[in-house]
Amino acid sequence: MTQRPTRTGELLSIDGLKTHFYTQDGVVKAVDGVSFGIRNGETLGVVGESGCGKSITALSVMRLIERPGRIVAGSIRLADRDLLALSDEEMRDVRGNAISMIFQEPMTSLNPVYPCGDQIAEAISLHEGIHRREAGDRAIEMLSQVGIPDAKRRAREYPHQLSGGMRQRVMIAMALSTNPELLIADEPTTALDVTIQAQILELMKALRERNRMAIMLITHDLGVIAEMADDVVVMYSGKVVESSDVNTVFEQPHHPYTKGLLASIPRLGEKRHRLEVIQGVVPNPLNLPKGCLFKRRCPSAMPVCDTPPPLQEIQPGHLSRCWLTPAGEPPEIGADAEAETAVAAAAALTVEA
Amino acid sequence: MARYVVRRLIQAIPIIVGISIIAFFIVYSAPGDPFDRFRSNKVSPEVIANLRRVYGLDQPLPIQFVKWFTAFWSFPFDNTAWGFSITDGLPVRDKIFERIPSTLQLMGTSLILTIIIAIPVGILGAVKQYSIADKVIAVITTIGYALPTFWLGIILRQIFAQQLDLFPLFGKYTFGKEGDILDLLWHLALPAMTITIVGVAGWSRYMRASMLEVLRADYIRTAKAKGLASSRVIFKHALRNALIPIVTLLGLTIPTLLAGAAITEAVFSWPGLGYLGVSAVTERDYPVVLAFAMIGGAMVIIGNLLADILYAVVDPRIKY
Repeated sequence: MTQRPTRTGELLSIDGLKTHFYTQDGVVKAVDGVSFGIRNGETLGVVGESGCGKSITALSVMRLIERPGRIVAGSIRLADRDLLALSDEEMRDVRGNAISMIFQEPMTSLNPVYPCGDQIAEAISLHEGIHRREAGDRAIEMLSQVGIPDAKRRAREYPHQLSGGMRQRVMIAMALSTNPELLIADEPTTALDVTIQAQILELMKALRERNRMAIMLITHDLGVIAEMADDVVVMYSGKVVESSDVNTVFEQPHHPYTKGLLASIPRLGEKRHRLEVIQGVVPNPLNLPKGCLFKRRCPSAMPVCDTPPPLQEIQPGHLSRCWLTPAGEPPEIGADAEAETAVAAAAALTVEA
Repeated sequence: MARYVVRRLIQAIPIIVGISIIAFFIVYSAPGDPFDRFRSNKVSPEVIANLRRVYGLDQPLPIQFVKWFTAFWSFPFDNTAWGFSITDGLPVRDKIFERIPSTLQLMGTSLILTIIIAIPVGILGAVKQYSIADKVIAVITTIGYALPTFWLGIILRQIFAQQLDLFPLFGKYTFGKEGDILDLLWHLALPAMTITIVGVAGWSRYMRASMLEVLRADYIRTAKAKGLASSRVIFKHALRNALIPIVTLLGLTIPTLLAGAAITEAVFSWPGLGYLGVSAVTERDYPVVLAFAMIGGAMVIIGNLLADILYAVVDPRIKY
């Protein structure tokens, strides 16, 4: 396998990650050969529909995959550490310390039977090795940093006494309390209403500046990506289908799936009768189509799509897993060409087989 | 909280009146009569009619009920408030009160043992779900759950008391050793073991189910994502949540434990309330049966109240 072009100063590097679930009905390849990297201080948006493997990728980085799931191949490196080679104990020291994670459901992500402040203090005293009372003071400080008024009182309150937006702030305070190098935010605003979403995004931006941390932002909301991300990775059925910097993805998307996602955003004031949608549904993970996983829903599908397309470099730093040429035309070898010829022809363009 | 408890106790009044009416009429409408056993050619009907008059059974039922019910509540001051036992003529209140310590000893020991064993077993089954240990536990507990208490009691007595002669066959004390704590524990072993085995089987399954549900919760993932060791995730974050339904169930089960103890007490001739209740029913000793039914009703009410109070203690989301 050819290495994906590595960039200097990468904090997190994921290479050829495969996380499979061994269910009774067969093997679900939830993440199947995913590679991407995040530089120090960078925000990477990971986009895709439900079930595309974005959350499983995040949980793989945290090594929190539960049975029957298992990381079967690939490597995950944080700076110079190989996370998959660490012992459980060493990995616990990474979790919540070097890498923190916040989740989609603020309503259920906090333990209902302990006060919010204690839950933050627990992470602090665990990783900083400081006394509980001191950790409690730090927790209150964190709560006011994330914009919770009357933090001292709120710290003693239980999660059910706080609103959804407040709980997500508590989650963020908990995640940032140990000054992580990388924050993984898995749909942090999806469960919140729109005004609160904007507040949380503003808060994350402010804290990103202050803490100079990298963020892996998982979302299906392209608006959130446009707001937050430097680079974007688009995932589909457990694979990366397109990746580039945020402007290129929005202005010159190459993969038909990315184009479809962008076309399905409603725009204010635009005179369109129907919203464009991507036809069809995500393929059944137990019965994936041969060749390109998107071909059944793709408006540009052609015979060559029966062969899995390689991830080709459209232009420097812009990768797309599609047979279309960088200009968006069908490949020169033509729609009628033998698949083998196509593979051979593509090999020249390929950065990853 | 105090206001809530007072309100609940006030609500209990109509319930206890309802229980007493139902219990009274069911007991009296059951076939048979306390003096059936005297019926023979040698006892003249006049003698039996005389006995019925002495005990007031010749009067119309509603009058009997009102007399019984009004007298019943003076029991803290009057040991004849609950009437006299038809079997031996002793005041019912004294008969029952002298048995309460024995039942509490047996119930308390069994309940504590059950909890001490069932909770760790349930946690183990949930944390190591589908492991060999979990499957072995599942088989043993399912068998334990399926065993009828009386049968298990008889088998344990057969093996450990009769054949191996390790424990006494029946009773609470060896004759002449009354008050000896070691002798009491020796006598307590088999009946307590009987109740505990059946109890552990059920409670460990509840605990496992509750724990499994909690282990799938989002906040458990949060706790792991913090970098906590799995022991801390299980015993701090999961356990307290998993115990919430268990504690509630525990309060509700206290009256059932009394009923379960009745059978075991009868098997081992343990001088507790249950044993007294069972023999009173077979002898149609109406005053004792009624007092027993009232105590059972009160236990249900207290158990429910206790469950609700404990619920508020363990779950900060519950406030009264």
